[in-house]
Amino acid sequence: MNESNLNPPPGAAPERSPSQPVLPTLPAAVFADTLPAPPPLPAAAHAERSLGEDPGDRVPIRGALGVIEAVLRHPRRVVFHLNQGSDISRLVGLLLLVALGFVAVYGAIVGSFSGGEQWWAAPLKITAGLAVTAGICLPSLYIFACLSGSAARLGEVAGALGGALALATLLLIGFAPVAWLFSQSTSSVAFMGALHLGFWLVATGFGVRFLKTAFRHFGLRSESGLNVWVVIFLLVSLQMTTALRPLVGPFDQTLLPPAGEKKFFLAHWMDSMEADGRKAPARGAAANRGD
Amino acid sequence: MISTQTDPVTFSLGPLLRGEAEVIAGWITRWTAGHTLRQVALIATGAGAFGAAMGSWRAPEQAAFAAVKLPLILLATAAGNALLNGLLAPLLGLNLRLREAFAAVLMSFALAAAILGAFSPLMAFLVWNLPPLTPGAAENVTAYSVMLLTLVAVIAFAGVTANVRLLQLLHRLAGGARGTAARLLLAWLAVNLLLGSQLSWILRPFIGSPGLPVEFLRAEAWHGNFFESLLNTLRQLWPEF
Amino acid sequence: MTSAPAESHPLTLGPLLRGEAEVIAGWITRWTAGHTLRLVALIAAGAGAFGAAMGSWRAPEQAAFAAVKLPLILLATAAGNALLNGLLAPLLGMDLRLREAFAAVLMSFALAAAILGAFSPLMAFLVWNLPPPVADSTTAVAVHNGLLLTLVGLIAFAGVTANVLLLQLLKHLGGACVAWRLLLAWLAVNLLLGSQLSWIARPFINKAGEPLHFFVPHALDGSFFVEVARAVSELWKHFNP
Repeated sequence: MNESNLNPPPGAAPERSPSQPVLPTLPAAVFADTLPAPPPLPAAAHAERSLGEDPGDRVPIRGALGVIEAVLRHPRRVVFHLNQGSDISRLVGLLLLVALGFVAVYGAIVGSFSGGEQWWAAPLKITAGLAVTAGICLPSLYIFACLSGSAARLGEVAGALGGALALATLLLIGFAPVAWLFSQSTSSVAFMGALHLGFWLVATGFGVRFLKTAFRHFGLRSESGLNVWVVIFLLVSLQMTTALRPLVGPFDQTLLPPAGEKKFFLAHWMDSMEADGRKAPARGAAANRGD
Repeated sequence: MISTQTDPVTFSLGPLLRGEAEVIAGWITRWTAGHTLRQVALIATGAGAFGAAMGSWRAPEQAAFAAVKLPLILLATAAGNALLNGLLAPLLGLNLRLREAFAAVLMSFALAAAILGAFSPLMAFLVWNLPPLTPGAAENVTAYSVMLLTLVAVIAFAGVTANVRLLQLLHRLAGGARGTAARLLLAWLAVNLLLGSQLSWILRPFIGSPGLPVEFLRAEAWHGNFFESLLNTLRQLWPEF
Repeated sequence: MTSAPAESHPLTLGPLLRGEAEVIAGWITRWTAGHTLRLVALIAAGAGAFGAAMGSWRAPEQAAFAAVKLPLILLATAAGNALLNGLLAPLLGMDLRLREAFAAVLMSFALAAAILGAFSPLMAFLVWNLPPPVADSTTAVAVHNGLLLTLVGLIAFAGVTANVLLLQLLKHLGGACVAWRLLLAWLAVNLLLGSQLSWIARPFINKAGEPLHFFVPHALDGSFFVEVARAVSELWKHFNP
């Protein structure tokens, strides 16, 4: 770099005439003072503020309503309080309680399709299923997070997972009126299963987004490990719906399927669709009077 | 654009039709029970008039039923999805309150209902000029096709206009972020279509088949759903499906 | 992310999983009996839980046997090769003491055990969803093979991750070229001993219908490599009669 911070023109330097006075080279500081400051780099302009910088991050989270408000509108507030470490167990407990409460309500909607024993069996199994899924996936989430460079402790990881589940189940409550209406007017188990599955996938998508936001603040270097975990979580939750069957269809004498009837969830779906297809013509004749 | 003659608080149809986003955003932020009542009245009148015109082809009772059912679908969709729409807004980047999201959706439905209401005299005129519905009559097929095409065209026009206005409003509320507004509009459209289509299925018939009795709800109203019916039709067309 | 100075860190799982080479190197240079005990406990808990989950498909006794045998193999490999690993380090250009080489290998085994432990609830859930082992059933054979494949996949993931950590640590201690050389040498000798120990301690899952043993009768007969050679030779004879 030349002294004046300006590049010389290309080609050979022109010869100086003898009458031309020798001018001193301008110091770089002249340009620094006279040229306007460059605009900030886009990355710097949009850089995320660190946790706690925004006063909204520090607002205490009180009660179930505080948790709902925080996970929905201020996810950074949840992350900030998890990061602070004080009273973390209360916050994690609240997040999980909200998630389990919401999923129990949604479970009742699922059970309303068949009614009878399913009014209590479906919410019970779905709530227990979510708790078990979270419990068995938590250790691997911690491992994947740490392997990806996150400095989160187990409590913070549990809180992030609790927050993701609280958000996902809150969204399920939003879907509940639609699910209820379809439950009351549909006779196809396969259709209802697919509808609930679609709602669960949408809700999980938003939950995963919350989780990634939380882990970005916990120092995650790469998201690839977290993405692998998301696949594991989805597989476990889908298999859980088969392991705890029937959730949508009528109650089948026992709470869980017999030990000899273990199935992979894809096989169960195929069986359900085939069974549904056999009933479809009779049902179609009654329902297709759409004038 | 700000309407100079418009009271920024009192709800009126003009700014809604003109899509004066700033005025509408003002209503949404200062929403009152009075606003809700006016919108409900607008939906009841507009969609009710259109439903009556549509149903009058079959019988006067059918006109009365459709006049009740069409506004009911719009209102039940807005109410049933109020929580979900309210949750989707902050999740998709627009920090609207539950009430504000409900107001925005209700307003777009009210706009659609107003347009339908404006077309209802034309619809009534069309019905007056169509041959009466008689079971097995050959001219019914042509008349039914004309009626269906007109219905689709009018409802599509009302729906597209209402959604364009809703997009403009969301764009304004999102501070110019087009991506956020479009994302939220698509999400709202998807969930409202899902609920609305099923409500329409349950509350059928609106015109009424000439071979079937005039009823408020069919006896099998709660059996099956729109998508299941579509699937059954596909199964009948391709048995191996 | 910056790490706090090594002396402020007691031996915990976090820095080990994140591969914070400076912190781990600090532990190794100030190694105590307490560190060894912690790592042994971690190996016993992690590999034990994974072994139990894996063996539980066949029977509760098999779960208990595998819960003891899997950690035992890791610990016996680290202890049995401690001298050889310690000798290889200075011979291949890294000035590590015997104790430091042992600590580094034990730490990589502990990391693998921790990963296996984290996957053990998932393994248990998988086993819970599998058909039970019924003698002479083709399904049970398929399940046994599937379980073996899952086992190999998870152990491979844990092993690769642990070795990546070990490589980072060795690079920190003595440079990239020496680190690769030493890692490959350690891998070779540990695989040699570990595979034979696994052969002796077989079975871990156990086929349906086979009797339950902690060690099979004549466990010390044959070797992993002889068995592999025999299988290759039989395969060769099958295709070239």
